[in-house]
Amino acid sequence: MSPQKLILWAGLAALALFPGCSGGSSESGTAEGGGEKPLIALLPKSKGNAYFLSCKSGAEKAARELGVELIYDGPVTTDPAKQNQIIENWITLEVDAIAVACENREGISTALRKAQDAGIPVITFDSDAEEDARSFFVNQATPEGIGHTLMDEAARLMGGAGKFAIITGSLTAANMNAWQEKIEERRSEKYAEIEMVALRPCDDLKDKAQQEATTLLSAYPDLDLIMAICSPAVPGAAEAVKQAGKGGKVKVIGLGLPSENRAYVHEGITQAVILWKTEDLGFLTIQAAYRLLKGELKSGAEALTVDGMGTFPVEGDNILLGKPFIFNDANIDNFDF
Amino acid sequence: MKTTANILNRLLKRDIWLRPEALLLLALIFEVILFSIYGRRFSTWDNWMNILRHSAEIGLLAVALTPIVWTGGIDLSVGSTLGVSAVVFGQLWRDAGMDPWQAGAISVGTGTICGAINGALIVWIRIPPLIVTLGTYSLFRGLAEALAKGVDTFTGFPQGFLMIGSGQWLGIPIQIWIFIGVTLVYVMADWRTILGRNWKAIGCSPEAAYLSGINVRRYLFGAYLMAGTVAGISAITYSSRLGSIKADAGSGYELLAITAVALGGVSLSGGKGSALGATLGVLALGILSNGLGRTPFTMNHSSELAGVLTGALLIGAIALSGLKGSSQS
Repeated sequence: MSPQKLILWAGLAALALFPGCSGGSSESGTAEGGGEKPLIALLPKSKGNAYFLSCKSGAEKAARELGVELIYDGPVTTDPAKQNQIIENWITLEVDAIAVACENREGISTALRKAQDAGIPVITFDSDAEEDARSFFVNQATPEGIGHTLMDEAARLMGGAGKFAIITGSLTAANMNAWQEKIEERRSEKYAEIEMVALRPCDDLKDKAQQEATTLLSAYPDLDLIMAICSPAVPGAAEAVKQAGKGGKVKVIGLGLPSENRAYVHEGITQAVILWKTEDLGFLTIQAAYRLLKGELKSGAEALTVDGMGTFPVEGDNILLGKPFIFNDANIDNFDF
Repeated sequence: MKTTANILNRLLKRDIWLRPEALLLLALIFEVILFSIYGRRFSTWDNWMNILRHSAEIGLLAVALTPIVWTGGIDLSVGSTLGVSAVVFGQLWRDAGMDPWQAGAISVGTGTICGAINGALIVWIRIPPLIVTLGTYSLFRGLAEALAKGVDTFTGFPQGFLMIGSGQWLGIPIQIWIFIGVTLVYVMADWRTILGRNWKAIGCSPEAAYLSGINVRRYLFGAYLMAGTVAGISAITYSSRLGSIKADAGSGYELLAITAVALGGVSLSGGKGSALGATLGVLALGILSNGLGRTPFTMNHSSELAGVLTGALLIGAIALSGLKGSSQS
């Protein structure tokens, strides 16, 4: 076959195929003209990340219940400008509301302000934008919620007395310092017989965390528990405890993803992983965006009630998801992020 | 029906349709028609300007890469040059208290120096361009990260500066005027001077070019130097469009720009193609990713589909120009 013919046939084939695959969904295209289903766009930090996929499944559930059409799109590459490009695309698409987990706080705010100027309500979740660039932030966890849950769980596992050490990401990370303050506050208030013997940074690296944990195990032979407050440190500490043959004797808890810690939890090395339920986060985000769009959620609101989920407190412009969830041997297999 | 097929066949037999630019133009028109039918609010003025605004940086880099690729070279460091120039801009403006225009000029100068480093290593130390720019790709990015101490974010630029990225003149975004200006320089260098011909001659055979009296070293150095300057300019439009700068600015842009260049019919083995073709390549990529994001049945998969289709389009375009070569010989 000559190249000319090849092109001709390729072109004809493409023409024939394209409308073919559109047949099924052309209704949704026309429905938008007549039915006026609101279109809410959800932008994760990165699209294929298990954490955000699980937010998405919650968001889809909310969209089905509310009769909303949901767009879920986000960066698949490392381009930091990609989130802005998607937002600006959505502005000209005239979506009805936008919900974003911000990768680059200052950068994305430029695009979000533009969306607000175009009359599109904006909500952030997971990680916030600048305050004037959105109406509300769905805050998955306050420092208090995280700190108190971690300390309470540690105390429960230690039987109310003993020694523990903390492995943190870095000594200068503002969020981790805030959590650590709340952990200490809880300890001094409620658990006088528990002592924190060491605080070590791991630079957010798993192998560094493993080293630090090994050092802690030999430096404090009577250590009862290691608490890891950055996500790579939880499996790192668990591996150190496992290799030292102290599984079960020295307990491990921390803030991290269930999927990264599942094996250690089943082996009995790690007792508890603490995180919010990401599906609920996605669900609440779409609920809040919908209400904002319908004018049912205004600034100054003190609570947001969602059927079947309960009431969520609103502090200022933060909608609080509530206390974090404890994943352990009994329930960790129910979650896939 | 028979006559239609006849006309199509006749049109297709003309050699002009097998030029990569012409094929790309057809693909582009095809894209526009499809997205106008199936996409939501695709063919609106706002959206067209939106596509152009987001294509400006890749477009600048692609145009600057064109003469380099003519000579049979490559520059993998343009994205990193954008990054380091942007960080220098941020530091001069915020930490040294310069006004944005002064800082901008020095930032473009930084890009030029980066280009000069590439050029010097390639021309005088005689290291292959792929190796040199693979090295400076890491080096310049590392430098940007070191300068910004990894996490520093520069933001809060004055309104006047932000106008480059969000303002317009005669209804067209300012950075597009900048892009048109730079492209004109390259196109005119090709059409109105012997520069383009000599660059391509080097790509066909450096020895023959040298023997016919072309100052090969100067031409090579010039192409890399200019690419650095243009990367510096794109750092300015990028910073202004985003309103903030981090050390990762422009990461991945080098590959997008090279894709656009190849798509536009600039042969990566040197000697062929045009800056306008590269511009068409950029436009095709921009339209594709924008259109997929607003077509109901592709909306939720636009980023992945854009990747797949870009790859298919690229391989298809190169394969077709290969077919053309073999059918002629």
